[in-house]
Amino acid sequence: MSTTTLEPSKWKHLPPPPGFAQTPVATKTSGKVSSSSSAASYAALKEKRAWDFAISPAKSLPMQAFMLYMSGGGVQIFSMGIVFMLLSSPFKNLAAINSAFAPFAPTPSSHDKTASQVDPKAFTTLPLQKIVYIICNLLTLALGLWKCRSMGLLPTGTGDWLAFETRGSPPEIVLL
Amino acid sequence: MLTIVRFLWASFAIWTAYALHPSEAGVVDWHKALLGVPLTRPDFHRTTGAHGATRSVVLTATSNNVIGAVHPENGTVAWRYLFEDRDPVVGYKAYNDRLATLSGPGGATFRILDVNSGHLLHELHLHSADSGRLFEPVNLGVAIAFDDSDKSKDTFVLTNGHTLRRINGKSGDIVWGWTSPDQTSLVVYSKVVTTSDAIYLIGLAKSFASYTVHVSAISPDNGELLSDADVPSSIINGPQGLIVVSHEGTRGKSVRLAWLEQARIHSVALTPQLKDKPTIKKGSAYLQVHDIGLQEKGLFVATKEDGSGRVIRFSEDGALKVFWEFADSVKSPKYTESTYAGGLDKDGWPYIARVYWSHVFRQASAHVLAPHLAEGKGLVTGFTFPFETQKHGIIANVAVDAANPEEFRVLSRLVLTTTTGAVQLWQQDQHQWTREESLADIRVAEMVELPEPQLVASQVGIEETESFGARLRRQLADAQDFPQYAINFAKRFATGSYASASSSIAPASNDTSPLSRDTFGFRKIIVAATSHGKVFGIDSANGEIIWSRVFGLGWAAEVGGRIFPLKIFTTRTVSDGDTPQVVIVGQRKADNSLVDTVAFHIDALTGEDVSGTSIGQDILQGQDVIAGALVEAYLFQDGPTKYVVLLDEYLQVHLFPDTPENADSFHKVAPSIHLPLRTGTAGSHRLGGHKVSPEKEFTGRHIAYPIWTASLPPNEDVRSIVTRPHEPVASLGKVLGNRTTLYKYLNPGVVVVLTSTSTPSGPATSCGVYVIDGTKGTILYHANLPAAGGVCDVKAAFTENWLVYHYYDDGSANADQAKSYRMVSLEFYEGSGVDDKTSSSDLSAYSNDTTRISVYEQSYVFPRGISTITTTSTKFGITVKDILVAGNNHQVQSFPRRFLDPRRPNRKPTAEEQEEWLIQYDPLLPDDPKRVLSHRYQVARIRKIITSPALLESTSLVFGYGVDLFFTRVAPSKTFDVLNENFNKAQLVLTVAGLALAIVITKPMVRRKRLRERWYAS
Repeated sequence: MSTTTLEPSKWKHLPPPPGFAQTPVATKTSGKVSSSSSAASYAALKEKRAWDFAISPAKSLPMQAFMLYMSGGGVQIFSMGIVFMLLSSPFKNLAAINSAFAPFAPTPSSHDKTASQVDPKAFTTLPLQKIVYIICNLLTLALGLWKCRSMGLLPTGTGDWLAFETRGSPPEIVLL
Repeated sequence: MLTIVRFLWASFAIWTAYALHPSEAGVVDWHKALLGVPLTRPDFHRTTGAHGATRSVVLTATSNNVIGAVHPENGTVAWRYLFEDRDPVVGYKAYNDRLATLSGPGGATFRILDVNSGHLLHELHLHSADSGRLFEPVNLGVAIAFDDSDKSKDTFVLTNGHTLRRINGKSGDIVWGWTSPDQTSLVVYSKVVTTSDAIYLIGLAKSFASYTVHVSAISPDNGELLSDADVPSSIINGPQGLIVVSHEGTRGKSVRLAWLEQARIHSVALTPQLKDKPTIKKGSAYLQVHDIGLQEKGLFVATKEDGSGRVIRFSEDGALKVFWEFADSVKSPKYTESTYAGGLDKDGWPYIARVYWSHVFRQASAHVLAPHLAEGKGLVTGFTFPFETQKHGIIANVAVDAANPEEFRVLSRLVLTTTTGAVQLWQQDQHQWTREESLADIRVAEMVELPEPQLVASQVGIEETESFGARLRRQLADAQDFPQYAINFAKRFATGSYASASSSIAPASNDTSPLSRDTFGFRKIIVAATSHGKVFGIDSANGEIIWSRVFGLGWAAEVGGRIFPLKIFTTRTVSDGDTPQVVIVGQRKADNSLVDTVAFHIDALTGEDVSGTSIGQDILQGQDVIAGALVEAYLFQDGPTKYVVLLDEYLQVHLFPDTPENADSFHKVAPSIHLPLRTGTAGSHRLGGHKVSPEKEFTGRHIAYPIWTASLPPNEDVRSIVTRPHEPVASLGKVLGNRTTLYKYLNPGVVVVLTSTSTPSGPATSCGVYVIDGTKGTILYHANLPAAGGVCDVKAAFTENWLVYHYYDDGSANADQAKSYRMVSLEFYEGSGVDDKTSSSDLSAYSNDTTRISVYEQSYVFPRGISTITTTSTKFGITVKDILVAGNNHQVQSFPRRFLDPRRPNRKPTAEEQEEWLIQYDPLLPDDPKRVLSHRYQVARIRKIITSPALLESTSLVFGYGVDLFFTRVAPSKTFDVLNENFNKAQLVLTVAGLALAIVITKPMVRRKRLRERWYAS
């Protein structure tokens, strides 16, 4: 504290480090205005971040597609690892969707009575972003499934269910 | 993607590079070379080698059209010569080191074989088979004689009853030929006798009610007729009673012809001028004369009317004299009629043996007469030997070989052939060996599973009742084997010596433990019934006969008869919880022409009679099931119970065993039973569908009544019906590369019918293959095949939805077509294409969907003709099925399914087709010598191959029988269910042990480190 008052020389035009106001008085006087404006920008930033996060799975899609292409069509440990990742990550993401978006939830204002009741982990917070996030994850899943199909791992043909078919005995007995 | 498929493709190609490994040859397979049941008396034949050493072989011609030689020391086959079926042996004769044979109608082909090695030295076609005269019996009108006057080794051959040829022994060319001037005359020659002055042809001329002896003398040098004469005589029973005795005297060889006429022996001397008048031997009346093979020593046997046998000798002075009369050879209820045989010793002295069976002592007796001993008065040596008549039937023929090591001592060897087809050698009363030659004529055979070894002989089910002390004692007794078990376990674990799929499963020769299966179920018992009235239990591990039983004739024992086994069924298996049982259904043809159907119920492990009517190891008694002929027999399974359903000529249903439970069971299902039956007479067999009456008729039996007849042309004869084996189907469909499914057409009533179309009383003009729904007679598939040579010889194998048939295409249908053997592969699928299922395996036969099928068909050029075709069979049907054929090259070969897949594309296979492992269609089936299962064995004339599953799904057991027996095991998809023998078990154990050790070492280290982190981390 003493050093700041002792040396007001040529460095005094430098901005103070973050979190340090120039004068405790100034902060007190301008507190209401600046806090409201910074809170707005902070909310905007949060929303932007939420949007970024929501479309982040889609952004990685091209890269994953390239990896899939490189891993080839054979059923090997490498391609299977990627496919497993592609298939499991959407479910993992969706399971954690609320906690993942919680940091981006709008901060409840102290005077806003209704907002104070909003739980940041509720599904209804950031609904648009979450829907987009779900869609993007579904895209990843779709990519994984497409890969599975192209590798022949999806039981889509009748041949995949042949082993479960059963037959009874015929009504007529033929002695041969 | 494509490269990966290609890589898979290449690896698969390597994977299927299948062959029998040399180390497995003779280990996983065995081969028993047989000759067949001797038709006539076998002959001891002795040859003298360069250094005076003698070798002898036993020569025989058999009912399987084989001439073979057996080593008398050990009973192994020295050599054999297999004659073609259309070239039946009609005569053979051995002289010194060569054996002359005549085969074909009238003796069309003449061959000279080396008597010790069986090598063919000369072969000569004397006349075409069509111009051969057929006689009854076949050996009438043919004869062979060797020129013993000099060392020319020339042979005189009489064929067709009227042609004599002299054949050069060195070059095999005809020196001269002589044909009877009037071939239309009624003279048929049947004997040739050579002397240095003349060759005598002796025949019979037909006159009123009897035959007259006719003799022609022919010059040996140029084949000119010297003289020709009718001998005043009257012979009733053909040329068997003609005996030519010769004697090598000081004035050369003198020959005399003897025959039996009006119970007197008549004889005439043969001279080149044929001037001699017949003389009648006065004295006793004779019933029969026996040629005992010593005619050249001037000896034969005649039986008097009271049955006693006399040896008659052609003595120095040119007369026939009674030399000896066998004591106690008069007909008697105490012993059977005697069999006489002659043989020579090393020095050429003759011996005569008389063999009979004594009912009193229940032993066989032999009396061997040595005429030259005891200063020419004759010496008889007698002995009895324990011939097992319950096991081998009755002695049919005898051959004798003797040695005279010192004065008044005669050692003899007897070769016996029996009515059950056994060939035995007895050295005095010591049994040396037995060859069961009836195994060359197996009619039906079945492989029966063996029970598991009884490792722990603990008493099951008495735990509740036994006291504490008794239990403790029992458990201690059981535990005494524990140290050994533990040692074995450790040894097995450490060395990795597990049961191997390619090792021998034959038990040790001194193994006395009861019959049990091996780890993988490769060891089974083959129950084989022959047409010579004997049934065998053969160990599939090494081909040893475990038990054998002789079929009893029942009431026909008094008149005589034969039993022809028709079907064999396993009515109880090991999985049913007790010893396995088989039922053999046969037809008994009694000599009074009555035919009955009999069933023999046998314990497959011991050969014991299950029904209990036979006593001990005596003759096996059957049960007369039908008093008449059998039409068809089936094995019927209703839950755990299995019984045999038999149909007689009136289509009445008989059950065996005929218990009330079985009758009830059959009565319940009778309304839903359908039977496709082949009925009718020879040449006009029809196929008809039948149902069984729901209620018993007034005869107390269910009756099958016809409901349809197959709509075949009237001149088409149903030759045979091929049915699918009863085995599980693993997959209901075939999955294609794009994962759609072709559903297999598995209608249980489908049968394959092989037919031949012929003009009335003419040869077949075409052959047919039909696939018919046996419940309602719908023809699902039909192909017309050419009948090459007027014979339909289509062979077919049918399993699941796959039919393979083989025929010979003589190219007559199309001038551009090549002559070749063809193999056609067909598959039947449900509906019109992929994913179209009609559930054919449990569909009602009366549904319209049963005829909605699609057929895939492809034809291939096959390398050779075959005698039988079958498919492999495995426990669950998962393993790919290969085709097994027995070719006319005396080999058993497998053809992989991949090459016979009817869906092989006609172009380069696409990626999806490659995923199915389809390869491009190629008309020629590769004849891969690596797939010859019989490798270096000559497996002669396999008539049928039966396959049976092992416990290992991958492996199928194969047993082929015909002349020879051959057994092996095949794994069409390799032994995928056992660890490869090259698998490094030690490495695996070491790796696991090393890892465990690493864990043990690092675990405390990690624990210490964790602890330190907790203390010093923050």
